[in-house]
Amino acid sequence: MEHSKQTQYSSNEKKDTGDGGSVLNGHFDGMVKRPAGGTVRASAPQPLGAECGSHRSAASVMESWREERTRSVEDNEMSLPSLAAAYTTILRGLGEDPQRQGLLKTPWRAATAMQFFTKGYQEKIIDVLNDAIFDEDHDEMVIVKDIDMFSMCEHHLVPIFGRVHIGYLPNKRVLGLSKLARIVEIYSRRLQVQERLTKQIAVAITEALQPTGVGVVIEATHMCMVMRGVQKMNSKTVTSTMLGVFREDPKTRDEFLTLIRS
Amino acid sequence: MENHHASEMDGVVAEYLNMCIESKHNDLCKKEKDSKDSADADRLCNIEKAYSTVLSELGEDVDREGLLRTPLRAAKAMQFLTKGYKETTQDILNDAIFDENHDEMVIVKDIDLFSLCEHHLVPFFGKAHIAYLPNKKVVGLSKLARIVEIYSRRLQVQERLTKQIASAISEALEPAGVAVVIEAVHMCMVMRGVQKMNASTVTSVMLGSFHDDPKTRKEFLALTMRK
Repeated sequence: MEHSKQTQYSSNEKKDTGDGGSVLNGHFDGMVKRPAGGTVRASAPQPLGAECGSHRSAASVMESWREERTRSVEDNEMSLPSLAAAYTTILRGLGEDPQRQGLLKTPWRAATAMQFFTKGYQEKIIDVLNDAIFDEDHDEMVIVKDIDMFSMCEHHLVPIFGRVHIGYLPNKRVLGLSKLARIVEIYSRRLQVQERLTKQIAVAITEALQPTGVGVVIEATHMCMVMRGVQKMNSKTVTSTMLGVFREDPKTRDEFLTLIRS
Repeated sequence: MENHHASEMDGVVAEYLNMCIESKHNDLCKKEKDSKDSADADRLCNIEKAYSTVLSELGEDVDREGLLRTPLRAAKAMQFLTKGYKETTQDILNDAIFDENHDEMVIVKDIDLFSLCEHHLVPFFGKAHIAYLPNKKVVGLSKLARIVEIYSRRLQVQERLTKQIASAISEALEPAGVAVVIEAVHMCMVMRGVQKMNASTVTSVMLGSFHDDPKTRKEFLALTMRK
């Protein structure tokens, strides 16, 4: 089961699938409940490549740092014709005329748009974060809130959009603030489920900084519920992940939740 | 140039459809054929296969749990979002037009509207405000919203959508005037491209006395655009 999940790449066989652990679109088996604990894994962790940085010990090898990109810019160019062909089929299937003026280049535009909406597959956390972790003697809460987030529902391929609020308690290391937003971008620009997205963001920050605690709250509107199906215009879905002291200490959590509401 | 691309695409489509996970999809499609009109089922099947191709070309793993039935769900969702092609104004309006001696403005505003941009196949949504000056004939109020639904559930361009709604009402009721204003947010501008979160697009069509008489137009705008 684990190994079959590794065949997540398209025809491009040359990519290395990485280690034996199943990192599936950043979604891994077993929940990480504590920041610096190891994950429960059947296979032993592989030794880190040089790219992960020599300051990490093998014992604290974490999943999101070992994620491989499942796509590259070259892959995008190569897939474009078949994606466009697929979209032409879709247009025809819906009863439209792909030859009419407004739709002539739509397959290409839609294909490029879809590649943009899933560009998170082309990016790795390590690329985005590597040089923006600083030693700072600060141990009070840091919050970045109202980060606009756009994702795609993996069940209906229809947009999800909303806001992300992130808070963390640094433990001698702080992160460049825009990097929190960049982590949100990497994980949200994928085919997602809101619960998984929230957890991935929290885990990535935990692994990058080993802070005392991390809290992530996402409030989003799902077009699959608004435009179709039950058609509830004003509904919102709220998910949260609290790790470390945010989970254990109710006062810290309260402070975080109050500050993001204000 | 575009036609060359189109015929190339046809060839690629045929090839890719053969290379796709055929057996799995054939089983699924067969079940649908038994219970539906077979032309519809064929179309759904083709769209489903196309979505399966899209998923694998985007670098995803089509066999993972969350994506197993996604091609079918996405195909059905897309069909729902374009169901306006199958509907006509005649179907919904025929019995809801009434003779009424009313010649003052009738406005239905804040009609939620969801459509698909025909250029990027990405949603745009907002509100429509409709007004008309009856000329001995009034229409059931919800029918105005249904007309919006018919034309918005298609691959659209906001300008055309506005005009189609106005023309439909005009033809059905022959009123003294029709005004339609649509204010929408386009995800193709918000989620990608220029990425402007707060931009919205407003289009309007004024026919009859709304076009000719500035006071009528002003009254309409004052009543609908008031925040």
